[in-house]
Amino acid sequence: MTTRAEFLGDIRREMAKTSGLFETRPVPRPADAGQAAEVVRRQMLERWPQALERFREEFERVAGVFHRVARLDEVPEVIGRIGRERGATGILSWHPGALGVDLRQSLGREGFSVAIAPDADPDAGERESHRTAAATADIGVTGVDWALAETGTLVLVSGRGRPRSTSLLPATHVAVFGRDRLVESLEQVGIMLEALHVDPARTMSGAVINFITGPSRTADIELTLTRGVHGPKEVHAIFVEER
Amino acid sequence: MSDLSTSFRERAAGALNDRFLKQALDIATTKFLTLRRDAFGQFPEGEALRDRARSIKEATLQRLDQHLERLVANVEAHGGHVHYATTAAEARDVVLEIARRTGARLVVKSKSMATEEIELNEALEHAGVTPVETDLGEYIIQLAHEKPSHIIAPAIHKTKGQVADLFSKELGGRFEADPEVLTAVARKELRQKFLDADMGITGANFAVAETGTIVLVTNEGNGRMVTSLPRIHVAVMGMEKVIPTMTDLMVFLAILARSATGQKLSSYTTLVRGPRQPGETEGPEELHLILMDNGRTRQIAGALREALYCLRCGACLNVCPVYRQIGGHAYGYTYPGPIGILLTAMLKGAASVKDLAHASSLCGACKDVCPVRIDIPRMLVDLREQLDRKKIAPWSERMVFGLARRMMVSPSLFGIGAAVGRIAQRPFVRNGRVRELPLFFGQWTRTRDLPPVASRTFSERWKDLDRA
Repeated sequence: MTTRAEFLGDIRREMAKTSGLFETRPVPRPADAGQAAEVVRRQMLERWPQALERFREEFERVAGVFHRVARLDEVPEVIGRIGRERGATGILSWHPGALGVDLRQSLGREGFSVAIAPDADPDAGERESHRTAAATADIGVTGVDWALAETGTLVLVSGRGRPRSTSLLPATHVAVFGRDRLVESLEQVGIMLEALHVDPARTMSGAVINFITGPSRTADIELTLTRGVHGPKEVHAIFVEER
Repeated sequence: MSDLSTSFRERAAGALNDRFLKQALDIATTKFLTLRRDAFGQFPEGEALRDRARSIKEATLQRLDQHLERLVANVEAHGGHVHYATTAAEARDVVLEIARRTGARLVVKSKSMATEEIELNEALEHAGVTPVETDLGEYIIQLAHEKPSHIIAPAIHKTKGQVADLFSKELGGRFEADPEVLTAVARKELRQKFLDADMGITGANFAVAETGTIVLVTNEGNGRMVTSLPRIHVAVMGMEKVIPTMTDLMVFLAILARSATGQKLSSYTTLVRGPRQPGETEGPEELHLILMDNGRTRQIAGALREALYCLRCGACLNVCPVYRQIGGHAYGYTYPGPIGILLTAMLKGAASVKDLAHASSLCGACKDVCPVRIDIPRMLVDLREQLDRKKIAPWSERMVFGLARRMMVSPSLFGIGAAVGRIAQRPFVRNGRVRELPLFFGQWTRTRDLPPVASRTFSERWKDLDRA
């Protein structure tokens, strides 16, 4: 088997033979990522209404369904309506600590079976029962780390109480977010990700970051666009006005 | 994968006679091209981003060893394992060894050209492990025991009727020839495979050195399934896919999907850093990254260096007048199209493309659409020259072009050549074109014609003008 030293040695030997390469300028990267992220946050305090408009337009263009409510306690009502319209029975949600709202009481009363992702370190048994819940749920409810306006994209960071499959296995994904989640551009997301990775608290978060732009789709049979091939057939975003 | 039981000429002729294939190719490539053009048309900053992406690729190659060291350190710091494979055989052995050690029997795969390149599925089957392709297009061609015909749309050569018959036969049942119905069938069938699988195998679109992140871009969500549900995740990656930072990643994301399918972003971009982390409910217990050379390293200082920039978006296939006529299978190797010829030469050596190197009109359309502006035509010309120098090209071809070269650089020989040609061409000129030349010259005129030598050449007329 090739070792690391041999592998890199081969590469260095070839690199030494190159000559006359064109000069490249290093790509500018924020020197202080935390500070750069803070600048973006401050900019967005003023610019979020325009970003929200753009987000809505782009999100709908990729077949997302946009909802807007005034208060967080109106969110269960919207999810209940989405569920009833689709004949859903099982709902799986991120932990209330990660989502900002506990759906068990409100939606449980309406007859949905609501499962909540564990937020303490789950043991093998809890992981297995969560997997079963995720595989059978009709609706998955998550929060959003960044709502990216220029592409209508939801960026979700996995971690404690925020499993990666809640936005993947159920046929309908509902994401809930507020104004402080809005960013305008991929460039700004890049700054946020640079900051996230130098943040020591990041060690608390999980292994996966997903950029979700509309429902799962394919055009592999005669280029006919079909939604929901492996992931959700529908993606909903609920914007909550209150801060 | 390669299909070399026939010659390129035979495969191309077969493809040209397949009317359905021609129609499917025409519809698919035209659609992708239009979507790409519209996507960049509405994205004025795209051109500057393409320049930036190109310079990131070049800068990364100039410090490739350092970036790989950072990548390895960061993957390992988050609990991942890194393996090194100089050859395709070694890469296969690493995967088989992981499967053996962990007792994996069922493998789900998301679409990956790197694993096609090393013919991993055959090796897994041989070792008693069942690989299941989960990209819908790849799943279809796996059931049909065929090969991908397009980098991003592997089953464009099949009709919905053919897919319905295939599913009915292989999965049991009677399914309607409706893409919606057939997609639902595949969803149900593959959902169970995701849940049952022991191991998930992916490629990698990028790997971010400074964070140790493997990046997967998919539309169906199978990449997410494969990296979330099985207990082992193995990623096979050409080592040139490393990029330095998250800032760089955003530049590539902005142009990759636009170039491939005209989307602003694909449905899912998945960033994976390590196996399941403490506190997480899901994710694999083990993550393995296999860094693969397989012919790439020697091109760092080689003639095909720029081909190491390639993002595998498929844009150069869609725009290529040769690909649009013959499709992917006729090329005979894993990577089709203009970039495919270069990648094949990289992986298998220049001699393997002695015919393919000429399967290009050198029109330059591939270079124009390439998101990182790879100069494919220049490298194709270099390859042709190399084939000539190493005497791999047929002797007749080398002789004819050798003579032509001498004539072109000497005004007096050129004059004599024109005089001789003017007389010698007479029996072969029909309707103002030279057709059906005798001997081995006929190889040229079998599929092309030539303008005849003019009755008075330009230089002769120029002299007249000078006198007047």
